[in-house]
Amino acid sequence: MHIDPLGEISHDPLAKIGMLMLATVTLMAIFAPLLSSYSPHDYTGEIFSPPSMDHLLGTDSMGQDIWVRLLYGARTSLLVAGAVALLSTLLSVLVGATAALAGGLYERFCMRIVDAMISLPTIIVMILVAAYLRPSLPLLILLISAFSWPGGARIVRSQVLSLKERMHINAARTFGAGWRHIVSTHIIPDLSPIISALMMQDARRAVFMEAGLAFLGVSDPMVISWGKMMHQALAFTYLDVWQWWLVPTGLALSATLIGISFLSCSLETAMNPRLKKDHARDNARYG
Amino acid sequence: MLSIRDLKISFGKTQILSGIDLDLEKGECLALVGESGAGKTTLGLSIMGLARGSATGEISFQKKNLLALPEDELRQLRGREMAMVFQNVEDALDPVQRIADQIAEAITVHRCISAKNAGDMALRHLLSVGLNGEKARLYPHQLSGGEKQRVLIAMALVNDPDLLILDEPTASLDALTKADIIRLFRSAILGRICIVITHDISLAAALADKMAVLYAGRIVEMGRAESLIRDPHHPYTRGLIRSYPDMTTTKDLQGIPGRLVHGLSGCPFHGRCTQRIDICSRQIPKQRELDGRIIACHRGGIVPLLEISGLSHTFQANYVLRDVFLTLYEGETLALVGESGSGKSTLSKTIMGLHEPDRGQFILEGCSVIKRDAAFYSRVQMIFQNPKESVSHRMNVLDAVQEPLLVQRESSYEARLGRAKEVLDLVELPVDDDFLKRYPHQLSGGEVQRVAIARALALGPKLLIADEPTSALDPSVQAKILKLLMNLQEKMGLAMLFVTHDIALARKVSDRMAVMHKGRIVEEGATNEVLIHPRHPYTRRLVDCALGRYGMENAEIEMMVEPEPVVLEKYC
Repeated sequence: MHIDPLGEISHDPLAKIGMLMLATVTLMAIFAPLLSSYSPHDYTGEIFSPPSMDHLLGTDSMGQDIWVRLLYGARTSLLVAGAVALLSTLLSVLVGATAALAGGLYERFCMRIVDAMISLPTIIVMILVAAYLRPSLPLLILLISAFSWPGGARIVRSQVLSLKERMHINAARTFGAGWRHIVSTHIIPDLSPIISALMMQDARRAVFMEAGLAFLGVSDPMVISWGKMMHQALAFTYLDVWQWWLVPTGLALSATLIGISFLSCSLETAMNPRLKKDHARDNARYG
Repeated sequence: MLSIRDLKISFGKTQILSGIDLDLEKGECLALVGESGAGKTTLGLSIMGLARGSATGEISFQKKNLLALPEDELRQLRGREMAMVFQNVEDALDPVQRIADQIAEAITVHRCISAKNAGDMALRHLLSVGLNGEKARLYPHQLSGGEKQRVLIAMALVNDPDLLILDEPTASLDALTKADIIRLFRSAILGRICIVITHDISLAAALADKMAVLYAGRIVEMGRAESLIRDPHHPYTRGLIRSYPDMTTTKDLQGIPGRLVHGLSGCPFHGRCTQRIDICSRQIPKQRELDGRIIACHRGGIVPLLEISGLSHTFQANYVLRDVFLTLYEGETLALVGESGSGKSTLSKTIMGLHEPDRGQFILEGCSVIKRDAAFYSRVQMIFQNPKESVSHRMNVLDAVQEPLLVQRESSYEARLGRAKEVLDLVELPVDDDFLKRYPHQLSGGEVQRVAIARALALGPKLLIADEPTSALDPSVQAKILKLLMNLQEKMGLAMLFVTHDIALARKVSDRMAVMHKGRIVEEGATNEVLIHPRHPYTRRLVDCALGRYGMENAEIEMMVEPEPVVLEKYC
């Protein structure tokens, strides 16, 4: 059956809301220098000042403008999300697809690695690794990617296994096509919905993980991160400052996560005909 | 005896007969078959000395060269030593004379005999062909066609000729009259040299023991009538037999593409032949004797396209194919039938290289297939069961059809587009830009299957493996697709391995049939023979089920099949 998931989700209201949320966060990140008059590392002198025209969300315990830090925090989140999505999906496809196509010992080896990776407790390993190495953004990206590709590799492998038995791929083989042709013209295009779903899932996990690790204190001190901001804000909940320090940061993080979730949910609905509402209705009527 | 050597007849610049060699002993009956215009009647007339064109060569009859004989002597021979029953019964009789008188005249011309005796003889002869005295007094227009035919036969036989030539003797007769006349002929030709000129193959089979196929003034194949009809070796003979129905014909009628042209250089049939090679258009093929058959073909008759020998394939220690021997000839449809799980699809996929066999050999056009390379795939292509699955849903019509060309490194887009349009045209699909840009889900099942067929044809294959090509389609679309495949076969000389479980379908499309059971081919033969006289119990059961007789249980057949040795018809 022919489905064009990317075309279909553009009509889905859920996807539209998700896109809107993500777009807002993205715009905040891109135009951060234009949306504020301070640098995120500036000390304005006043601490805990309430929201005003000068400081939209006031200042924090160090006297830094919270709004500016919120804007630059979006950059970190999206950067980690994007980089992890790319890196981890690339690994998933590479390992999953080659395992499915090559088969044999290589496939067994790859899949056992995947099993091993999945069974590791992610957060603890990451905290331990970050404790021994100096935490930095690239290291964080590598770590998160290293823990998110195995799941994707499983999915890609199973997809490729079923794809390579498809009739149109057999047909291509009867024209004398080699694996290179089959992979580039049949398998990769047919994998694209799966790949985009994987990327979104990885991005969502990356945002959450980055914030979570920063919240736990595992992050580069120089990097502005929503997780770290929330961690700092929590220390001052006895003051009014949490209203414009903790809540907006939490909202921004939630918006990013919910935006990605909505998009991937809508994509999944488009790809899985059983989840479609009208189909469900048809089934109820005729089934 | 009659012996013809290198007989050539031409009318003006057109050569009608170009080198006929023929030997007939007394008691032999030869059927001359071929399309109209092949020169059959001209050959008959020239033996009688009645052909008007200029003749060279030699026709020797009773030790005289008829071509060198003066007209007077020829006239002496005609009617007495050799007689001809003409094609058109309406014109052969004099409308103003009673028939008895016409026959008496034929007697008195050649014998010194009184008019009364001649009249008595005429009546006797008319009686022997089944016309009584009353009919003898009638005029030709008062007789029916069959009766007129009888008069002509009586007239031809009245002088007891040694050579009898029958030119389309039953062309205009109904089946019952024809049967009577054939009985009459059977007794008339005894002890004579007889030549039956006809395009009616069943008549030829009924009367003649030898058969010669004439094409554009040449004999392309000659042999025993029965074996020639059952197993034609020359592609033209096969085409002729395919276009002629008899009561056991099961396959749909197919014609021969193109039309007969006289005066071609090389093999006269090369323009219409689907297995021609370079030499065919340059050199006239010599008559050769092969397996008791005289045949004039550079390729020695219909060539085997794909030979499979000793093919075995196991899947998880189970035999899926066991010692399969199969030969596919150029331009024929071989139906591979059997229940699901009998190994039909595995066999076709193994041929295509989708499965690697454990043992066995493939020979394609005389060369052993070691590696399946581009050359192999451009000769052998496959059509799959479900068109919507076999054509990628991400490819539009043009992408799908040009994919094999891309795979085979046809780099120019124009060339690919041109070829794609050509093959789409062959499968009767539109070639406008709108259609080329459509996706499979925007087409009907039949259309997608046509696209798949066009895609398979893009590389110009000689062998098409069709694995249940219509089982996913509804009956009316199925009929159209099958017609299309048959037409393509006729046009391009495609050999087809038609894999199906539907015997009724196989019956309509195939020339030969191979029955598969548990990975073995248990029976193989001409489709009509296999279906009428199935020899293997499994085939019998398949045919019974197809006929709607569900008597035998599966277990019974198992018991019957196992102890019996598997009958294999091997082709060498």
